[in-house]
Amino acid sequence: MSVDSTKEIDLENGPTDEELVAETVKGNLASYDELIRRFQSRLYGVIYHLTSNHEDTNDMLMEVFDKAYRSLPTFRGQSSFYTWIYRIAINRTFNFLEKRKRRQGAMSLNEIDEDGLPKYDMPDPIQRNNPSKSSMLNELQNKLNESMLGLSKEHRTVVTLYDIQGLAHAEIGKIMGTTEGTVRSRLHYAHKQLQKSLGIYLRR
Amino acid sequence: MNQKEDFSELQKLLQLKRLETPGEAYFEKFVDAFHQYQRQEILREEPWYSRVVEVLFEPWVAGVPRLATVAGSVACLIAGVAFFLGPVAPGITPLADGKVAHAKGIIVAANLEDDSLQIQPELIETAAGGEGTQLRPLYVNGHGAVAYDSRLAF
Repeated sequence: MSVDSTKEIDLENGPTDEELVAETVKGNLASYDELIRRFQSRLYGVIYHLTSNHEDTNDMLMEVFDKAYRSLPTFRGQSSFYTWIYRIAINRTFNFLEKRKRRQGAMSLNEIDEDGLPKYDMPDPIQRNNPSKSSMLNELQNKLNESMLGLSKEHRTVVTLYDIQGLAHAEIGKIMGTTEGTVRSRLHYAHKQLQKSLGIYLRR
Repeated sequence: MNQKEDFSELQKLLQLKRLETPGEAYFEKFVDAFHQYQRQEILREEPWYSRVVEVLFEPWVAGVPRLATVAGSVACLIAGVAFFLGPVAPGITPLADGKVAHAKGIIVAANLEDDSLQIQPELIETAAGGEGTQLRPLYVNGHGAVAYDSRLAF
């Protein structure tokens, strides 16, 4: 009976990430598609909040999943797949940001998507029913993007992972290969910096 | 003013960024777009140095333990430093008795202007017995120069 109930739980939760990895390595490509579906939205968020550009994010996301797929046979399970693929995404994005910085000197705000966010981002009801609220949100999001880009990439990453994605300090430490204390201290510094540049909006 | 409360206001503001997603339609089509991307990537050849860059910058992805990469880099660095900081004239060594040893014997005279050296070949005893004036590299043991010959029993 207990075996049946275990099966039920498995069916309900689906295979774990590690089981999907094992299946992919065996040649079951549908398993990798499932891994993509599980992580695409979260990884998109990480890359986007670091680059502030949707086109770059799309390209990077493809590159990250491709890289991870090719490297799966060498994945030894020393860390979870979740940590591993986040690390790939963050490191690839850091490399990309360095290249972009060298290419253009200081980051131009024109690089950021027009209005700070693409047209299809904002949920429709807000845009249609309350144009003034929408415009205020646009302004705020422009300012948020600008302030985020003012942070170093490490500080931007902890803010993205903690405040936007809701990860725990320990998880962030594992992903970034640093201690929980360093994560906390970076977060504190980043919050202070953001508060300084966004103060006017916080007092409204 | 409570610092934590200030941060919590900021955190609420930051949560607005969660709205910046491309929407469901994008993610529904993403897997198909990815397959198309992969097919294109297969046709594109990677340059030979991409693997080297990968091992250096993302060793854990390439399946190389981080420690091995660090150890390899340190070894290369030491070899590089040794190459550049090595002795300018490796055959010349000052001896404890005030003489100067050269790879081919003891320096008895030197002319600094034309860098010429007068070298007296060191007399050595060979394992077969007898003395000879064979030219052999010197081994310095702190008391003088002796010839290095693996056949000699010290």
